[in-house]
Amino acid sequence: MRIRTVNLTRSFHVGSSEIAAVKSVSLNINDPKFVAIIGPSGSGKSTLLNLIGLNDYPTSGQVLINDADASRLANRERRRIRNAHMGFVFQSFNLFPTLSAVENVELPMSLANRSQEEQRERALRLLETVGLTQRRDHRPKQLSMGEMQRVAIARALANKPETIIADEPTGELDSKTAREIISLLRNIYEKEKTTVIVATHDEKIVDVANAVYTMQDGQLKTDI
Amino acid sequence: MLCVLGVAIAATFVIAIGATTMRYTTVIREVDVLFNGQVTVVSKDAIVIQALPIGGSMLPQDPTVEKISIIPGVRAVTPIIFPSPIESNTVIQAVPVNFTMGIPVEDWTSILGPVSLRRNAHLPANDSSSEIWSGGSLADQYGWRVGSEIRVNGYTLHVSGVFDTSMALLNRCLIIPLAMAQTVYNYPQLVNIIAVRPALNVPEQNLTIAIKQKIGYVNALTETQRNDIVQPILAQVQTWTLGIEAVVFIISLILVMTVTIMTVSERRRDFATLDAMGAPTSYVFRAVITETFLIGVLGGAVGLATGSLTALVLASIYTNIPLALFFPSILDIVPPLYLLEMFLAIVGVCCLGGLVPAINAMRMRIAEVLRAEY
Repeated sequence: MRIRTVNLTRSFHVGSSEIAAVKSVSLNINDPKFVAIIGPSGSGKSTLLNLIGLNDYPTSGQVLINDADASRLANRERRRIRNAHMGFVFQSFNLFPTLSAVENVELPMSLANRSQEEQRERALRLLETVGLTQRRDHRPKQLSMGEMQRVAIARALANKPETIIADEPTGELDSKTAREIISLLRNIYEKEKTTVIVATHDEKIVDVANAVYTMQDGQLKTDI
Repeated sequence: MLCVLGVAIAATFVIAIGATTMRYTTVIREVDVLFNGQVTVVSKDAIVIQALPIGGSMLPQDPTVEKISIIPGVRAVTPIIFPSPIESNTVIQAVPVNFTMGIPVEDWTSILGPVSLRRNAHLPANDSSSEIWSGGSLADQYGWRVGSEIRVNGYTLHVSGVFDTSMALLNRCLIIPLAMAQTVYNYPQLVNIIAVRPALNVPEQNLTIAIKQKIGYVNALTETQRNDIVQPILAQVQTWTLGIEAVVFIISLILVMTVTIMTVSERRRDFATLDAMGAPTSYVFRAVITETFLIGVLGGAVGLATGSLTALVLASIYTNIPLALFFPSILDIVPPLYLLEMFLAIVGVCCLGGLVPAINAMRMRIAEVLRAEY
């Protein structure tokens, strides 16, 4: 999936003033890559990922998905793209507490109207990929932080997305677990040829990424 | 859980109030069923609820019956006495605890209508007989059966029949031969009411006019006129009941809406995550409405059970009839159709209460929620 942003800007009204969280960002991801977007808190990383992930509308500029302008698409179409072509990994995992690990992984497939058998089969395979076969029936509160993030990654892979968008995926993890998660994401990129876009503070990700961008004050700079 | 409890309490309240009121209005309506298609004659100063005179003077039996009998268009005349109940301290209660009717034996079957007689029942020999019939509920309470003896005002009466009927009033009724009732209660030759059956093709209205013209000291009422007397009272009772139910439903609606708004707010991240995963807005809407639907089903089911029980307890308290006696006839006190209506109304109110939170959840701006999580 080719992702391109052209002069992407997102502003917010705070009181009477307007603050641009993302300013004229142009980004081009043609081939599957492991992309790291680094920068301090408040630099606009999450806002940029929300725009690329079609979770938000830009104030101006474009988000082109496979050369088609997705920034002005109707909500229904954006949802379809998110469900079929993107997977999301969040800092605080965002697992559903009432569902077991395997049910959490099945959820995006259920939203895509896959059959029950297909959902279960793929969810189990994905849990095996992230090393959690034994924890399939555990609920999130019975899992460690690292295990929860692994379930979240398995869930992000459920519908075989072409892009995984991960916002601070190691933000709540200790350094050893963070390394394991980074390694897992890198493996997914290598084996599945899935573009992985990670917004992070974590310098360790820079070492494994093949494209690193730095966000500062809403603007993007290429490091590699 | 709190919400389910709140809905259950509201449902209990609605069902207890509704069922109790319904029982009272049904009993009032039942009185007239005994005199379907008949003109009832009472003394001119009598206060009447449906066919039941609750005040005023009594009528002299023989002269009045004779005068009515010779009026053209009269097919049958039945003098009836409603003497004091067995327990006089409970007479003022709206649902009669015990009710006594003195009726000529020959008219028992026609006045009582289709009742189910228990084993060995038989009619008394004549109007002076000491044999009586008892309604099933009354007989069960005191353990009477055919052959039992009852002491009333110093007289010994013998139970010669026990009958069961769906009418609450008759179930609590003692039927005594007319002359014996007048003797036992010391109302010689006096009656409260005379039921007059018109001949075929004679309008009740014409008959009442003729009776009032011929006999100056009586008032005659058609079935419609009797109904007209209580209709405004019953309508007001029903309006008040509906009003109370509406208030309780509105409170339930606000409760469900408030609690659901809070829970939706607490689960903003879940809904935003669903949205990010591409869940259609209808999915989120359905999730919230299903939740409030389940609150309605659970709260409604619990409320139905506790409300029915409360209605029974209230009926027992108001009538001094042991609670156990009400259990076999629970469906008469809280009719299944009423329970179904209330259950559907409660579930409907809960679903309605989920609408605003469901729409809020659908309209959530996921980027704002997800950004707040970082």
